[in-house]
Amino acid sequence: MLELHQVHKTYPTPQGPLKVLDDVSLRLAPGQSLALMGESGSGKSTLLHLAAGLDLPDQGSIALAGHNVASLAEPARAKLRREKLGLVFQQFHLVPSLTALDNLRLQARLANRDEPDWTAYLVERLGLKGLEKRYPEQLSGGQQQRLAIGRALAPRPPLLLADEPTGNLDETTAQEVLELLLSLVRETQCALLVVTHSPQVAAPLDRCLRLRHGQLINSAL
Amino acid sequence: MIKSIPTVVATLLTHYRRHPGQLAMLLLGLWVASALWSGIQAINATARDSYARADAMFDTQLDQLERRDGAALTRAEYHALRQAGLPVSPMLEGEIVTQDGTRLTLIGIDPLTLANDNPLAQADTSNSLTDFLTPPWQTRAAPDALTSTTTLANGKALPPLVLAPALPPDTLVMDIAAAARLLESGNEITRIVTAPGALTEAPAGLTLTRANRIATPGQLTESFHLNLTALGLLAWVVGLFIVQAALGLALEQRLGMLRTLRVLGVSGRSLVLALSVELILLGLIGAVAGIASGVWLARLLLPDVAATLGSLYGAGVGRELNLPWHYWVGGLAVSLGGLLLAGGGVLWRAARLNMLELGQMQAWRSGYRRQLMLMSVGGACAAGVASALYIWLRFQPPGDGLVAGFGLIAALLMASALWLPPLLALALKVLSHLTRRRPLIHWALADMQLQLPKLSLAMMALLIALATNLGVGSMVGGFRLTFLNWLDQRLVAPLYLNAPSEQYADIDAWLAERSEVSERLLTRRSDAVLETVITSDGSHALGTPIELYGITPGNSLTPHWPLLATQQDREAAWAAFDHGAVFVNEQLATAEHLSPGDRLTLSAPGVNETLTIAATYPDYGNPSGQILMASPQLAARFNAPPSSMGLVLNDDVDEGVLREALTARFGLSSDALSDQAEIKRIATEIFERTFTITRALNALTLAVAALALLASLLAQARSRRQQLAPLWALGVPRAQLAQLSLVQLGGAAFVTGLLALPLGIAITWGLVAIINVAAFGWRLPLYLFPWEMAVTLATAVAVALLSAALPALRFWRASPRALLAEEANQ
Repeated sequence: MLELHQVHKTYPTPQGPLKVLDDVSLRLAPGQSLALMGESGSGKSTLLHLAAGLDLPDQGSIALAGHNVASLAEPARAKLRREKLGLVFQQFHLVPSLTALDNLRLQARLANRDEPDWTAYLVERLGLKGLEKRYPEQLSGGQQQRLAIGRALAPRPPLLLADEPTGNLDETTAQEVLELLLSLVRETQCALLVVTHSPQVAAPLDRCLRLRHGQLINSAL
Repeated sequence: MIKSIPTVVATLLTHYRRHPGQLAMLLLGLWVASALWSGIQAINATARDSYARADAMFDTQLDQLERRDGAALTRAEYHALRQAGLPVSPMLEGEIVTQDGTRLTLIGIDPLTLANDNPLAQADTSNSLTDFLTPPWQTRAAPDALTSTTTLANGKALPPLVLAPALPPDTLVMDIAAAARLLESGNEITRIVTAPGALTEAPAGLTLTRANRIATPGQLTESFHLNLTALGLLAWVVGLFIVQAALGLALEQRLGMLRTLRVLGVSGRSLVLALSVELILLGLIGAVAGIASGVWLARLLLPDVAATLGSLYGAGVGRELNLPWHYWVGGLAVSLGGLLLAGGGVLWRAARLNMLELGQMQAWRSGYRRQLMLMSVGGACAAGVASALYIWLRFQPPGDGLVAGFGLIAALLMASALWLPPLLALALKVLSHLTRRRPLIHWALADMQLQLPKLSLAMMALLIALATNLGVGSMVGGFRLTFLNWLDQRLVAPLYLNAPSEQYADIDAWLAERSEVSERLLTRRSDAVLETVITSDGSHALGTPIELYGITPGNSLTPHWPLLATQQDREAAWAAFDHGAVFVNEQLATAEHLSPGDRLTLSAPGVNETLTIAATYPDYGNPSGQILMASPQLAARFNAPPSSMGLVLNDDVDEGVLREALTARFGLSSDALSDQAEIKRIATEIFERTFTITRALNALTLAVAALALLASLLAQARSRRQQLAPLWALGVPRAQLAQLSLVQLGGAAFVTGLLALPLGIAITWGLVAIINVAAFGWRLPLYLFPWEMAVTLATAVAVALLSAALPALRFWRASPRALLAEEANQ
């Protein structure tokens, strides 16, 4: 589903070039789940951005659903993201001017995969019944993150990328959201890559890898 | 991806559902820009349509014969010419007043002798010639000349109306027999016309004016319309400032949304496409509303413009709008073009910003720093263009370079506007550094730096509007002063007489015997052709018709008559004038690059004279060149008939008694004598009316700039509360914070106003020294009005305080709970 091969990424800084990813390779099979752990600044988010085609590697290749991301033009990468990927962020990134229901359907509409029955099911499963007409700021943090997960899964993508999906939530809510995320991922049989520094989030996943100073090391938790 | 564009556009538009103020500001800018521009274009289009119709009529299509002595032609003279075998046609012209008070020009023609291809004879009507020629006759009129009544004020009725769309506005055409009955003209006719070139020379006693030497209204009024267009363009630019401010703000507040959309798979190209679709949708709404309002505005202003053009140039303009199809398409194109121009920068920024930085304020801040740098460079470029134009204009003869003059003013405005934000940013940085030990002031200055990106466009619009207001206001004020002085200098006699030319000799003899009259200032008028101009650089042939005007130099007139340039001094100039030298008006001197000492060759039937120019004189309000001679010289050399007489009276003379005696003795009509005050009143009225539209547009532009500032402040009121709430939480009273907001904006506006002063003076100079000379042919002295400057500064601060008052009041009245919520959002 996702394969990174000898990926390098460096950012220019006032103090000189900063190597963020150094010869990183990994493989994620369809339906598999993987946790990527590491300290702040270890390159986790950069790896996620590269995997999503939001940024391009300096060297190496990234294959997503059979496409080499690095060789695609920006519109083609956008299409790939729209149709093959679901993205969940720590800061939710909901559209403040859209209602909860419109936010939920947004990516599915963009991908022309809006299924009313599936949307209704998601509303039910996400516990957002009765809140469809509310705007994001009228929802709690947990509700907002559940909505963001629903938006990512609405077009039924084969791969879900999540960046600290519970990092902005309290412990109890984080646990609830995580369980919901994993449950829906199992239902949709999509692959899952989660970037996190929380062992609790990584524990239930199939595999866990750790990044340190831009290099990948295996981790058995 | 095209399929998803509607979803993206709908998502983008939801922002305005939550921020209707921003939508209102955007539409307001578009509406105002489009309304003022299209309003002026509607006026111009209507005026041009009127000119085109007038041009197509006899004025420029036929050679004209008139009597050399200025007296009316008679039917007998026409018959004599016909009997001599000349292909001429009679024409009668006069003014009629309908019962509802409408004044119309009535032209009587003889279609049988008028050249067949003349539009006046055809005038787009398919009715038969017999109906036109025989009772009850017909009245041909364009739709905008149709009146609600066909009964005249004197009780007579117009012949049945027939529509003739090609006729000029306010003009009726009928058979000469019907016109003679209505005008009660008896045996007189106004002029005799002939096909162009049909006569090789004027018959004895008559002057022949060739059709191609008659200036058309379109030519005369071109500069007036250019002025209007320039003001309209300025209002359009100010409106677009609002649009750009609104678009920039809307985009900044939607950065998070844009980032999310990109992340969800909307490509950069699709996002720009969707933003463009959104722009066009909003643009169409704004443009349609603007054009509709523009037409309304034009209807409101058209009567004043028509009166101005009538009084300044004698050009008839219809009171009803007449708009061709290309006006509507053009209005739409200009509005949408302006929107894309204003939004282009925003689209460009949105397309260029890195996706991973898209939601970060830092990206916009560094973007603004770059923008400030670009503004400085752009301002320097505009200043360079202004300098280049100034240098170029210095090497041009006076009166040349109307477009370059406008270009210079536009470049100056652009340079100042572009330099304003970098200057304000620099001033704030320096002040902030100086007030480090005064925390609240330091914060206020730092906070103002944060506000600057969002306010800079509104401040630029304010600067342009203030400077233009001051510049145009000073020009009009200076013109007013000069014009009134000039009137005082020229109108020295308390009474002016207009009598039939053949009566002047008897009247003059009678007045010479009256002890009440100390001087009789007889004037004469005649026409000639200015054949050749002989200057120190050589001579060149012209062949243009010119008016000759004769005055009586004397103790009353000579000391006051204003002269602009003389060869030696005033006394020498007047002495030469008495001995046959001439003065030329400033318009002629400017147009032909004449100066005292140059010589002119003038011709009239049987006359060919070469005369020396002794001086040039100002002649405000006259669109044409004029040559001034001593009245006896004009009579002797060009056989010019008298046209009026000023009566200078001795002290303590009862004007009324003399007036009565004079009218009774010579059987003069009641309006044959006018007093000086009445003439001045009429002249001043015409002057004031001339600038009505200028003042109206100026005030509207300033109002637009004020709206821009208010809209910018309202649009960011929410984020301002987020800035102010933490300070309130730290213990600064709400009232003090509200006051600080007022001082911040008032201070920025004061600085803007200060910058507007030199810029306004530069605009005044450009108007009086370049634009007026090129457009009207006269140069005005540069007057500065300290009071106007004080008002400009006060206006700047007042506009800012009024705009800031509402958001400040809202903050001051906000509940502690709301402020706590804002503080928590931090």
